[in-house]
Amino acid sequence: MSKVVGIDLGTTNSLVAYADEGRPVVIRDDNGDALVPSVVSVGEDGTIYVGREAQRRLLAAPSRSVYSVKRFMGRGIEDVEHESALLPFWVSGDPGGVVRIGIADREFTPPEISAFILRELKHRAEEHFRQRGDFDFEVDRAVITVPAYFNDAQRTATRDAGRLAGLEVLRIINEPTAASLAYGLDKRSRGTIAVYDLGGGTFDISILKVEDGVFQVLSTNGDTHLGGDDIDRLLLEQVLAEIAGPKEQDPTTVEAIRRAVIQAKWDLSDIDETEIRIEPSPAAHTGYRRAITRADFERIIRPLVERTLEPCRQALGDAGLQPSDIDEVVLVGGSTRIPLVRRVVEEVFGRKPHSDLNPDEVVALGAAVQADILVSGRREMLLLDVTPLSLGIETMGGVVSKIILRNSTIPASGREMFTTGVDNQTGVDIHVLQGERELAADCRSLAHLHLGGIPPMPAGLPRIEVRFQVDANGILSVGARELRTSIEQTIEVKPSYGLTDQEVERMLIESFEHAEADFEARLLIDARNEAETVIQATDKVLRRPDFAALADEQLEAGERERIDAALADLKAVIAGSDRGAIQEKTLALNHATQHLAEVTMNRTVREALAGRNVKDV
Amino acid sequence: MLECRNCGAGAPVDEHFCPQCSRILALGRHGDYFAFVGLPRKLLIDPQDLERRFRELSRKFHPDYFYNATPAERLASLERSSYLNDAYRALKNPVSRIEHLLAIEGLPSARSEDPSTGSGDQAAKVPPSLLEEVFALNEELDEIRELRESGEDPEKLLARLATARQPIEEKRDEHERQLQELSARWDSRGEHAPAAEKRATLEALRERLLERNYINNLLGTIEREGSGLQATSREP
Repeated sequence: MSKVVGIDLGTTNSLVAYADEGRPVVIRDDNGDALVPSVVSVGEDGTIYVGREAQRRLLAAPSRSVYSVKRFMGRGIEDVEHESALLPFWVSGDPGGVVRIGIADREFTPPEISAFILRELKHRAEEHFRQRGDFDFEVDRAVITVPAYFNDAQRTATRDAGRLAGLEVLRIINEPTAASLAYGLDKRSRGTIAVYDLGGGTFDISILKVEDGVFQVLSTNGDTHLGGDDIDRLLLEQVLAEIAGPKEQDPTTVEAIRRAVIQAKWDLSDIDETEIRIEPSPAAHTGYRRAITRADFERIIRPLVERTLEPCRQALGDAGLQPSDIDEVVLVGGSTRIPLVRRVVEEVFGRKPHSDLNPDEVVALGAAVQADILVSGRREMLLLDVTPLSLGIETMGGVVSKIILRNSTIPASGREMFTTGVDNQTGVDIHVLQGERELAADCRSLAHLHLGGIPPMPAGLPRIEVRFQVDANGILSVGARELRTSIEQTIEVKPSYGLTDQEVERMLIESFEHAEADFEARLLIDARNEAETVIQATDKVLRRPDFAALADEQLEAGERERIDAALADLKAVIAGSDRGAIQEKTLALNHATQHLAEVTMNRTVREALAGRNVKDV
Repeated sequence: MLECRNCGAGAPVDEHFCPQCSRILALGRHGDYFAFVGLPRKLLIDPQDLERRFRELSRKFHPDYFYNATPAERLASLERSSYLNDAYRALKNPVSRIEHLLAIEGLPSARSEDPSTGSGDQAAKVPPSLLEEVFALNEELDEIRELRESGEDPEKLLARLATARQPIEEKRDEHERQLQELSARWDSRGEHAPAAEKRATLEALRERLLERNYINNLLGTIEREGSGLQATSREP
């Protein structure tokens, strides 16, 4: 049986997990690292790099790399223009259409970029199952998480990305809800939970009621453009303002500063004062150092953090609850490590929030649990989520008539009657929107539908019933029927900020055409990673404090020189694209260090035993 | 009767699964939320019992559990789950519960935005029992607006508004009590009462609902007037 995984497709990092006999496990690389940076980079030769490798290239070749693509999913150029100024890649697109991301001479849509990340995760999982010795290690189905406050277009874009990556998307689930599933596993809990999820790019708050294994979401709210990225940008702007000069605005310097402010942000979660530090380099010629205290940092970011408060109050209000009704508060997302965020959450809900599970991993774990529920038929747990935004249609005068209200449990359905305005009219146009505002112009346009095939009748006589169905993914589908004749209507859907089915098909075909090149690229990256591992292991031994003594005692004449030469050889080819050479030199270094590895191992074992003897005495 | 699309056996309309082959049944044209969740047509229900039924039925229908089923069963699960969610939402709230009862008992809708009457002409359909209060309130509101124009202290006007609000709130509380009583009467006599009495109870419920909607609109108007005044009082 092929494998099913749960994927947290994050703004900053992505993870993949699976359920091992019902127990969710995050899949790590050989270094124990679960996070795959959500960065994609295109090499000079068109090779696609994803994750750590792409992140490294972000510094060297920023204009060929894309990060935080999740912020562009299901969006139009007019939504993102204001924030694209400091991005190293080009963002374009026609007004009212899908955003296009330009890298060198190629153009991608956000789902295509996300598909590269998903393919990397799929590969990572398959590699894990293969190494475990599973006969059928193929991963072809997944549950993918999205922010609870994602609208229909953003969810659909995520599902398209899955398809493009060769995954059947079993279910799109909401990140805070996924997190609650992972939490619910440990304690057979019951009660009312608030999940506060502040990630790299998005903020969600969900209020859930848990009873008899049913995780019922009562309300959800959020902001799909609020997260760690915005904090980084504030700091970045601060630094740029201080070192103003045209030279500093080039992409390489901006990326170096971004890296430095992120490091400072991380430091300030643990210590009270640190330094934003950029080493002098050919690009950032002068270098830069600046002390920053936690108080400074909190002063800068407080307005951002306080933007999470209104959604919290709104969600409580929609659930008909007071803060005192909440039994537990759970923190999710890397940005909840910031002490100020924790204090603010504690103030709103009047209780200390929980963070027993790793806030970076808990969402992927929950997705794996949900994937397991879907394919195993296990019925201990059930997730009942809600649609975050009301769904409606434009009526006379540009007013929105709501058909499915926000916070309705999904799946949800609604019906609306239409008729014709002119004799023998055979088609009707419907504009579908999502949002809470009264006027269509203030809501999010989802799609324009054209109902065709209405039997010719005098005006006003046809009774066309349009059915709106929001499925368990929170994605809308529409059906229509003329009730007098029972004729099912044809519906053409023109998504406002999404890809048509034909576009997705075309991209799928293109991705098969690129598959061979991508496969070669993948082998090259694997070879490099393998080489990197051997180099690191060798360096580690050479740097041992007792190495000199060990070498004196144990190494043969010329052995050290042979090792150094093999090491230098491998380092010379590792950055190149000759896979054969990398593999050959890796093998050579392995061979040259074999004896060294043995004697080091023996010494370590001896020391360990000696240590124990001392303790025993 | 429903017909099982799997084995062709007939099933009563309130069944969810085929009595013969136990597959999930297509929804068909169900209209009665009470029957769907297995409750009699009663208005005073135990919210915890309703919630338990909702959870139990969710566990039976949810699309999560039909992932490997046939397309027909998956569709049935989607439709039944959607319908269950609608039913739960409508029955949970006492007012929408009464509205649903009126609808399945064949009475016209008691919603204020009923399109057949047009929603713009609220003034034209003041419920007779409220005429006196509405008249007094409108006069008071007019006067407050005039005084506001002429620069009267907004704090004073806010106090007058609060006084004007009182009789309306008393009316609302009275209506809540009446709805409660009528609901209890319906539950004790309900479907077994003679047709005329049954009809009278339902008509009375509908009347109270219409009035209640009207009262809520009035309270909304007072609310808006009040926030306007508060804004003025903050601007020095």
